[in-house]
Amino acid sequence: MLRRLLDFLNQPARRGNPFPRWSNAAPAKILAFLALSGALLVAAINHYATNEYLNVGYTPDQPVAFDHGFHSGVLGLDCRYCHTNVEKSPHSNVPSTATCMNCHSVVKKDSPALQPIRDSFATGEPVRWVKVHKVPDYVYFPHSVHVSRGISCVECHGRVDQMEVVGQRKSLSMSFCLDCHRNPEKALRPVDKVTDLAWKAPSPEAQREMGSKFVHDWKVLPPQSCSGCHR
Amino acid sequence: MSKRVFVHPEPKAGEPAPWRSLEERNKSPEFRSRAEREFLDGAATFDPVDRRAFLSLMGASFALAGLGLAGCREPRQHTLPYARTPEMTLPGVPTFFATSFPGELANQPILVETHSRRPTKVEGNPSHPASGTASSKLAQASILDLYDPDRATVSVGPDGAALTSAQVRDRLAALGRELEAAGGAGLAFLARPSTSPTRARLVAAIKARFPKALWAEHTPVDQSAGDRAVGPGIRALPNFAAAKRVVSLDADFLGSGDAQVEATRAYAAARRADTAEQAKGMVRLYVAESLHTLTGAAADHRLPLATSAIPALALHLLDQVRRQLGQASVGELPKLDVDPAWVRECAADLVANRGASLVVAGAHLPAAAHGCVQAINDLLEAVGRTLEYVRTDAAPAASLRDLALARPSALVILGGNPAYDAPADAGLADVLAAAKTIVRVGLHGAEHDDTTAAVRARGGLFVASTHYLESWSDGRALDGTYVPVQPMIAPLYDGVAETEVLALLAGQSADALGLVRATFESVARAVGRDASAAAFEAWLAEGVLPGTAFPRALAGTVSTPVAPAAPALSRASLEVRLVPSAHAGDGLFGNNAWLLEQPDPMSKTCWENVVLVSPALAKELEIEPEPMVINRIGQLNRNINQLVDGKLTCRVVRVTLGGRTVEGPAFILPGLAKWTVGLQLGFGRKAVGRAGARVTERLSENRIVGVGFDAYPLATSAAPLGAAGATLELTGETVVVANTQDHWSMEGRDLIREGTPGEFAKNPTFAARLGLDGHLPSPLGTGKDAATPLAVAAVTTPRGNSAYEHPDHAVPPNVAVWQGRADAPVPQQWGMSIDLNTCTGCNACVTACQAENNIPVVGRSQVLKGRDMRWIRLDRYFFDGREQAGMDIPENPQVTFLGVACQHCENAPCESVCPANATVHDEEGLNTMAYNRCIGTRYCANNCPYKVRRFNYLDYNDRQIGRFYEGPLGPKGMAEPLKMQKNPDVSVRMRGVMEKCTYCVQRIQEAKIQAKVRAGASGDTKVRDGAVQVACQQACPAGAIEFGDITDAGSRVAKAKASPRTYGLLTYLNVRPRTTYQAKLRNPNPRMPGASAAPLSRLELAGREGVHPAPAHGGKGH
Repeated sequence: MLRRLLDFLNQPARRGNPFPRWSNAAPAKILAFLALSGALLVAAINHYATNEYLNVGYTPDQPVAFDHGFHSGVLGLDCRYCHTNVEKSPHSNVPSTATCMNCHSVVKKDSPALQPIRDSFATGEPVRWVKVHKVPDYVYFPHSVHVSRGISCVECHGRVDQMEVVGQRKSLSMSFCLDCHRNPEKALRPVDKVTDLAWKAPSPEAQREMGSKFVHDWKVLPPQSCSGCHR
Repeated sequence: MSKRVFVHPEPKAGEPAPWRSLEERNKSPEFRSRAEREFLDGAATFDPVDRRAFLSLMGASFALAGLGLAGCREPRQHTLPYARTPEMTLPGVPTFFATSFPGELANQPILVETHSRRPTKVEGNPSHPASGTASSKLAQASILDLYDPDRATVSVGPDGAALTSAQVRDRLAALGRELEAAGGAGLAFLARPSTSPTRARLVAAIKARFPKALWAEHTPVDQSAGDRAVGPGIRALPNFAAAKRVVSLDADFLGSGDAQVEATRAYAAARRADTAEQAKGMVRLYVAESLHTLTGAAADHRLPLATSAIPALALHLLDQVRRQLGQASVGELPKLDVDPAWVRECAADLVANRGASLVVAGAHLPAAAHGCVQAINDLLEAVGRTLEYVRTDAAPAASLRDLALARPSALVILGGNPAYDAPADAGLADVLAAAKTIVRVGLHGAEHDDTTAAVRARGGLFVASTHYLESWSDGRALDGTYVPVQPMIAPLYDGVAETEVLALLAGQSADALGLVRATFESVARAVGRDASAAAFEAWLAEGVLPGTAFPRALAGTVSTPVAPAAPALSRASLEVRLVPSAHAGDGLFGNNAWLLEQPDPMSKTCWENVVLVSPALAKELEIEPEPMVINRIGQLNRNINQLVDGKLTCRVVRVTLGGRTVEGPAFILPGLAKWTVGLQLGFGRKAVGRAGARVTERLSENRIVGVGFDAYPLATSAAPLGAAGATLELTGETVVVANTQDHWSMEGRDLIREGTPGEFAKNPTFAARLGLDGHLPSPLGTGKDAATPLAVAAVTTPRGNSAYEHPDHAVPPNVAVWQGRADAPVPQQWGMSIDLNTCTGCNACVTACQAENNIPVVGRSQVLKGRDMRWIRLDRYFFDGREQAGMDIPENPQVTFLGVACQHCENAPCESVCPANATVHDEEGLNTMAYNRCIGTRYCANNCPYKVRRFNYLDYNDRQIGRFYEGPLGPKGMAEPLKMQKNPDVSVRMRGVMEKCTYCVQRIQEAKIQAKVRAGASGDTKVRDGAVQVACQQACPAGAIEFGDITDAGSRVAKAKASPRTYGLLTYLNVRPRTTYQAKLRNPNPRMPGASAAPLSRLELAGREGVHPAPAHGGKGH
């Protein structure tokens, strides 16, 4: 095309219509090319610049290779054995070193993998755990109101009881939050099953029926305005 | 029928209107041009750099942005749990500690909110009924002093070496042993007065160990001087709540002092006017004062009178009271330049309300005045009804003068700042020069404290002390109730508490907790209460020990009241008054940025002090060339306070008293006594921290620097708070003063509605029918909409004004299950009511809002540009009435305060213009502000009729004052300790974001979350009335603010809004504000000279075109 353009420019002036025949289709082609690349760009940004791509799957190494799958899944420890404040506080606390030492002062008390825990317990210096699940600073997510009103850990954190290393499984984007706040009946479960990550309603219809009754009886009305989460 | 269009009624030239500044009153061209612009000149421009510099800055930022692209992912963050979680700690849930804010007259019982042990906010302690949930602005702001980045981090030895606290303890113990042998000969202490019984005990122990030692106390503003005049150890406790008539003689009980919260609360209780019946019985306040204070602003009858003439007035009043009670006259009366009818009628009103009337006098007045006041109160049978005398436990202390005479060789200076605030003739400099060993205990090192600097210059030992939120101590509330001072955070730096210093010198163990514990036991036993460890814990948890109030006492009888004749004052012999400034107090708050930036309630000046002069005195000043403005009736007026380029420009004056001079900018404050000059203390310190220091902003062309002038040179030992015989002259200089009185001008709209109890009885809804409102359907359930109760109106009136979709209560909530169901839960609707009748303008709400909502401080030069960020604008309006309209500057105008924050309009004009949908309504009626969505067009602020939106022009939170303009490579981040004060539940806003009052949405959400957690399967998710208290409401000493669910007819806010005095601001715009006001009632005595039948604001309103006085037919308007 460039060559043809150069030929076109170099040729001596012609009488009548100066444009060659192929130039009739050129504007349409250019437009189609621009539209296609624009659409590709938008699609790429939509995928690669969102939480879905950037955050889901974030699985950092921790200072101590704590195996949630073993402790929670195999041993069957309840989430709240370690995350004690989840029902009382907006923060679901990462357990203090003393909680680890409840067992590990007896079990595997000489394991080299647990050296950072023993050091922390001896010195009082905190263990520098790496934060996995993050929402922006201008978002206030209170754990207490969710877990005490039938929203399971699994809804945002995935099957932690099957993870050897915890990673982010859900996008935690604003639309992720709003999907649930608009249709809470799809996620609600009996409050005694909140920490039972494996629990599932027998069927989608049963979930909808149970969830709708929960929404009605507990007067569930999740906030959907800015002020619900942004203060 | 054509649609009626309502526009703002513009006051015409020549018509009276409320005014905030003299320029506004006179409608000067400069004021007009300023008011016509939404943002102040310079506010919306990036002035320190030109286009070229801007491009280079931008180039640098793009380059940096390119570098930054390498890290596309979020930075790695860590979670640091406790190794062992301390008791009572729930990360994310605040813990409240009961403690008290130490004062010199009284400690203020408070609760301190801590997040993971970081104190973030001060609240009143409701266990102390006299103050309730209220707290003063000083108590609120004291939390910032804990995190003062300029606090000393280490102690410094005589050789200049840093000392650890352990080394300091050793040295103090050794010093004690060294001095013990000589019985403490040559040892002296200099401290501030304190209410702490533990300190009193330690002082006694020190006197026992060192019998020859001297214990001196000094405070520049002695609050107990008046009580001492009544009798040693006696305190007069006025009970304003029981009073129907109060006369204040130069006493600013509503505006300053340690008793302010209690006094305001009691006064507001006596001022409540929920019904016409109550209004008729409400308190009437007479004030005679030389300056214009908050108490004077609240007065029903105010008499500007020089302080030196007040004792004579007191004697005249006593004479009148005696004669009207049929007793003998007091004899010969000194000459008094006051209308005799004023005194006669005032006395008649007091006598007519015998048993329910009260006279109070300022602590700075001479004993003669207090003697007269005591005699009047006896005659009025006040004691036991509106006044109690109690016996305090205050131990006598030596004075600064005794200290100078003693010439100690070893001196211990505890707290305070005597090198700055002691009168020059007290000889403190000589004492310091003569002392061989000096120990200075204070919060600030030599660079930031005058006294530490003086002590270190003489090779003294500096002991870094701890803040009261880090230390164990105790104290007594105003009525004597025993209150703790307990630490809630480990000392930020390696400091030693004052209690420990005294204990070590007394030869005791430095166990402050043990000392307080022992004091508690003795105090508890003395009143026959349980003194066990459990009782001690209970006391710490509760914050007060009931039954420990001071015992009642009898004041001695007044022999023969006398009063000196007032000195003749004139232009050549002025009276000087030194008063603590609203910002820095007597200087101890000189580095507190919240207070420094907060406008003085009356002068509206911030970041500096001014010389207050009366309009009459200003007129006498000879200024060349004479600045003239044309007033509204076409006369030329002299005006020495001018707006130049939108900034208040003041003449610098030199005040000379007894050969000592002080220079400062003169500010005309209408209402001052003619020949009285007011100077505010606390500024001009030679050594002070970064907030109080002279700050120039780099890159800025602003040539004006400095924070105020030092007024202490005019103080003497004999007259520490001013005297007569001063002269004042112009220096010829002019300076710009950071004054906010014209910021966010409302341009004379009829915002203020006032009435009298009589009118209230006849026409209860007078306020809602004034102005254009008489023609309109009422915003929420009054007037034409009276058939629609508030609860219904709040959820049926159309709402929201966004260009986009917005929540609408007419449609069921956007949850599938609830679609189309009649039993869907109805969101609660939040609203606020502010009672202007009890508001005294004390600024507690403004400070509380700043602390709660992480509102940044912007610095003096930003304030000059009109970029101040406080969400509550406490406007001070003057009214001078029509009869005075022709006068130059009115001498004694009426004052009304109007606190304006976001009104949360149902039809919010800000919402319709936001292109980013960043400000929208939520389903509970809040006008929300999503910071993360805001792109900073400022259209919302342009369109807000109330002018309550504030824009972050610069990175006020992430840059330090004075370093805002330093480009992308400039230092970022707020000073380290200040980060700890921030409320973790509120976003810290960034540059380019609009912000405004949120109705403390974080508190609402927290209450909702708690209600939902508590509800469980019961489905009772409603937030109970009183579970949400917004910060301003909680702090308000007058209880003027109510907040809650307006759909709940039983809620306090709904009851307040149901008051017939309720009206809204600018309701004719049909914006339907959620915040409404209750009109102020003035309670004039018709027999008083100069009494106006209606408030001056009403007389002015009546004259305005399109604005009608209350319609006589009281029905539907017309």
